[in-house]
Amino acid sequence: MDRIRISFRLNGVEREAFVSPEERLLDMLRDDMGMKSVKEGCGTGDCGTCTVLVNGKPVLSCIMPAFQARGKEITTLEGLNEDSAMKVIQDKFREYHAAQCGFCTPAMEIVGYKLIKESDGVPSKEEVKEGISGVLCRCTGYYDIVDALRSAAEVIKK
Amino acid sequence: MEVLMPNTLDEALRALVKNQDAVIVAGGTDLWPRIRDLEVRPERLLDISGLSGELSYIRKEGGKVRIGSMTTIAEIYESRELDGPLEVFKDVAAKFGSPQIRNAATIGGNICASLSSEDYITLLLALDASVVLKSVYGERTLRLEDFIVDKRTVNRKPYEIVTEVQFNDMTDGWRAGFEKIGRRNTLIINLVNVAVALRYNGRVEEARVALNRVNRKVPGRARAAEKALLGKEIRGDSDLEEAVEALRGELSLTSDFRASGEYRVALAEVYFKRIVKRLVGVA
Amino acid sequence: MSVSVEEFIGELQRKAERGELLYIGQSLRRIDDLEKVLGKPIYTNDLLPRETLYARLVLSKQPHAILKGIGVARAISYPTVKAVLTYQDIPGENISSTIIPDRPLFAFEKVRSTGDIVAAVIAENERRAAEATELVDVQYEPLPAVFDPIEAMKPDAPKVHSEGNVIKHMKVRKGDVEKGFQDSDIIVENTFRTQFQDAVPLEAETALAIPRDNGKLLIIGSMQTPHHVQAAVARVLGRPLEDIEVIQAVTGGAFGPKSDEPPYDVSSIAALGAIKTGRPVLMSMTRKESMIAHTKRHPAIIHHKTGVKSNGRLVASEVQIVLDGGAYASLGVLVIVRATFHANGPYDIPNVKNDGYKVYTNNTYTGSFRGFGAPQAIFAAEAQMDEIARKLNMDPLDLRLMNMLRPGSRTSTGQLMDDSCGLPECVDAVVSASNYREKRREYSQQSGKVRRGIGIAMLHHGNALGPEGNDYAYVHLSVEKNGRVHLGTALTEYGTGAVSGLAQIAASVLGIPLDYFVLDRPDTLAHHETGATVASRVTAIGGNAARDAAMKLKERATAVAARLLGVSPSDVRIVDGLAFVSGNPKRTVSWEEVVRAAYESGVELSVIGYYMAPQCVWDQETGLGSPYNQYTFGAAVAEVEVDVETGQYRVLNYYVAFDVGKAINPKNVIGQLYGGSVQGIGYAMMEELVHVNGKVVNPNLKDYYIPTSMDVPERMVPIIVEKPGSMGVYGAKIIAEPPIVLPAPAIRNAIMNAIGDGVNDLPITAEKVYRKAKELGLG
Repeated sequence: MDRIRISFRLNGVEREAFVSPEERLLDMLRDDMGMKSVKEGCGTGDCGTCTVLVNGKPVLSCIMPAFQARGKEITTLEGLNEDSAMKVIQDKFREYHAAQCGFCTPAMEIVGYKLIKESDGVPSKEEVKEGISGVLCRCTGYYDIVDALRSAAEVIKK
Repeated sequence: MEVLMPNTLDEALRALVKNQDAVIVAGGTDLWPRIRDLEVRPERLLDISGLSGELSYIRKEGGKVRIGSMTTIAEIYESRELDGPLEVFKDVAAKFGSPQIRNAATIGGNICASLSSEDYITLLLALDASVVLKSVYGERTLRLEDFIVDKRTVNRKPYEIVTEVQFNDMTDGWRAGFEKIGRRNTLIINLVNVAVALRYNGRVEEARVALNRVNRKVPGRARAAEKALLGKEIRGDSDLEEAVEALRGELSLTSDFRASGEYRVALAEVYFKRIVKRLVGVA
Repeated sequence: MSVSVEEFIGELQRKAERGELLYIGQSLRRIDDLEKVLGKPIYTNDLLPRETLYARLVLSKQPHAILKGIGVARAISYPTVKAVLTYQDIPGENISSTIIPDRPLFAFEKVRSTGDIVAAVIAENERRAAEATELVDVQYEPLPAVFDPIEAMKPDAPKVHSEGNVIKHMKVRKGDVEKGFQDSDIIVENTFRTQFQDAVPLEAETALAIPRDNGKLLIIGSMQTPHHVQAAVARVLGRPLEDIEVIQAVTGGAFGPKSDEPPYDVSSIAALGAIKTGRPVLMSMTRKESMIAHTKRHPAIIHHKTGVKSNGRLVASEVQIVLDGGAYASLGVLVIVRATFHANGPYDIPNVKNDGYKVYTNNTYTGSFRGFGAPQAIFAAEAQMDEIARKLNMDPLDLRLMNMLRPGSRTSTGQLMDDSCGLPECVDAVVSASNYREKRREYSQQSGKVRRGIGIAMLHHGNALGPEGNDYAYVHLSVEKNGRVHLGTALTEYGTGAVSGLAQIAASVLGIPLDYFVLDRPDTLAHHETGATVASRVTAIGGNAARDAAMKLKERATAVAARLLGVSPSDVRIVDGLAFVSGNPKRTVSWEEVVRAAYESGVELSVIGYYMAPQCVWDQETGLGSPYNQYTFGAAVAEVEVDVETGQYRVLNYYVAFDVGKAINPKNVIGQLYGGSVQGIGYAMMEELVHVNGKVVNPNLKDYYIPTSMDVPERMVPIIVEKPGSMGVYGAKIIAEPPIVLPAPAIRNAIMNAIGDGVNDLPITAEKVYRKAKELGLG
């Protein structure tokens, strides 16, 4: 089967890719675009480690067909590493030891970033737990992640 | 595998009539894992994600609520249109997959999957919703109850696309409630779900009850329970005994590794009672 | 308040004069997490050369069958397929085992479980490889199978291997239990059951093999112990160790299975594929493959018979533990040792008789997983304590206070507890933090549909390997000309921050900031074989080696500094990267200057530190003696709210205190208390890998439930207690594993407090609580 030519914006840059029909957005981002922060933890849409932003919304790249990326704006952690709010989040993740094995960290930071950006003030613990509920973490038990994100929000929302 | 990627509904319908073997992909959250797992191996896909501009809407018109089939669960969760008794749509959304899945999954996809795990089917059955199907030959409207045939089987012709679900707005005393019970607090497949819609003015004037498995392997209406509710004034559990008894008789909740059928029935009964009491304001 | 740099340095210098270790006990940031928060660490699958091939597994469809034939022709001719590997492709030994060589890499002659690997397909395209696995034609002749370990122990049960199904029988014999039972006022007997638990490291098992010249190989993978993987691959390939270099990539969680046999499988298959095709091969298990084919926590059936005086004094304890080993021995032969030693809980009981059995069945195999037999043993022991308390009409806390280990008491093996036994302090901490006594009273008078309960559990945990092997470690330190210190060791990092902790120890000894350190990737060619990275032993054991290395290095650096400062080495102090003359803090020379001078004068700033723990002495027949050099202690209180109509419950509050001897990095310790407790909450409440006739029915994260952020207790209170041990560095005790143990018994006991009876088989699902509540007439 022929490959499908698609164009999209990735981390603010116009890109083009030739994807196979069964290719997942995850495969395209990792293999063709080199976005290695996007992780495959389950491949079935159940763990959230493959989360990226599509048109600004967190979605699971392991269950999204790559061809559906056409015309979309896709953001991975690589595209946010210079963002000032993301830098605060990353610093707080280090301060709170919120990254243990690191495998869920990019996804946690992305959903945390969206949550903080869209909150009016500093989100409550419950709001943070709800916001990150689609990303599984097997190391931290979530407490340090919740504390890191709330602490980051206090800085960002100042 | 070939992928058709129309940009308008018209294009999609024309493509579909020529490629009636095509499997339709909307949000992809149900289909893509199954393709990955080699569970399904379609020759041809019709990607309707390009139609989200046309088919993503929530409107109230002429006493009806219309939800475009490409409306995502997140859009439902955040909708201002779905207020008052329609807030029940958000109760479903709140326990739907995860925030990321809600951003991709569509209400049309939920219905067309036709599984007992698809929570919006249960709710929409309780609202006596209808499904609008379009094709190059025209349009037809089908009651959801007739649309859902069996597990992974719906009453859709291979050249039709589901474009909308619609139901009567809940006015004059209608109220609705929903509960979903799983093995943890989020990212769950339901052990049971229950939706109840009532028109209650001192007594039950109309009642519709739906659960994830009634008399078959897919969500359905619990008509005996509905009947038992009619005319009842509800002051407490004892007024619901007859309805619960009726409900027990029509559930086809079975055992698997997640839970026993017996426990599912117990949950269904408890939550049915709790929803009804909540809807009529009884503790 | 601001402090000038001079004042700050002055204070540090005064501390150095007093010989204080500046960085021990401080929650320093890890030095390996910057890349992690940037999404940039290189895990195995982030590293693929362009020409890499992908491998997918053909797993057995039968739990027990003669292998009649494997037809590979159709699969080999499938598009992009380069090779199909079976047992016939193994040039060396077809063994992929840790201790007992009972497990072939590829099934040969028969299959013993649905986790057995029959073949692997290697293709250009991962999807094509997956499709081609379905074209491998495997013919089976089914054999009678056994899935229940109690059945498997019977003489006429189907034999999983040629010998009997009992792989190991472990015993503890102390005093005379029969006499103890005669002397008791009451006897309490109960049976407890636990389930298969999957570790679910978020990165599944994976390895990349890259061919080198002359048949040599580089293997990069996700694992705990690279030297063991090196030996395993060498055995399969029939090549000398030095032909195979193994590097541990950044590893996305491990929790035990990655110290057991699964990394052998993925590495060996990638290696065989690389040799056969001459190209790099990635063998990266899908989640499904991992959940079927890797080791899980053993299900256990545990019977307790306890004799007690009417005042609550425990007189005799007889425990039988049967572990479902699945089809292979794995590290499970050691798991049963730890389970049997800890079977009676942290109590001083004069008469003990424990029998532990690890048994073969045709279920998928079980092995190493955080806690290593303790979660099963302590769940049963601590549930039994609450059952005894109920019989005596005593508060479970009082029963425990009367019998628990404290300085001067003895364990089930007769080991004397010295002042390093911090169990009483842990219990005090959680009892007062939780307001246990008051709540216990309050919750004894409830009648509604929603009821609360509070429960306690406690443990001792023998440290490091003890009877599981020689507890030694090597740590390499070498200094670059610019002053950067490379810390290299084959002890691996997979999330805890322990290796960063080794650098923290070395930094403290050397008197230079942690920023100077670089952690080298563990590499079999660069680093000494150093035993397994298991048993939470990196800080306690590896820390001693890091300390030893740092002291050796410091001696050399101090001599150079002394020469530069014109004083004798005994007058040199080093603090915060600055060497100065004792008593004259203005005369300084920087670490960089010292290093440069060392390079210029031929002083080698490269050392290897070593530590070997004292041998543990215990009797093989009776278990009596001191199987462990020191113990970690812990206690937890859980508070639950139960809906008696549905059995649904949630953990409101969880209080957990651990005696860690000395917290080298308190924040890292807290990270383990949080994370381990939440894994334990999963074990208690929801996790269960379900086997039906030997087949795993939920090998995915949709139906294997691990806790999400919405499932953790609203409040968790972690508490650190420090009663230094004799073995660990600076008195440190191990901590990564034990926190997983306490939630199951604490939650079980809290539910018993709420509804009046406890659930004795894990996981404690809402359905089981519902059944109990119904039996009790509460619903």
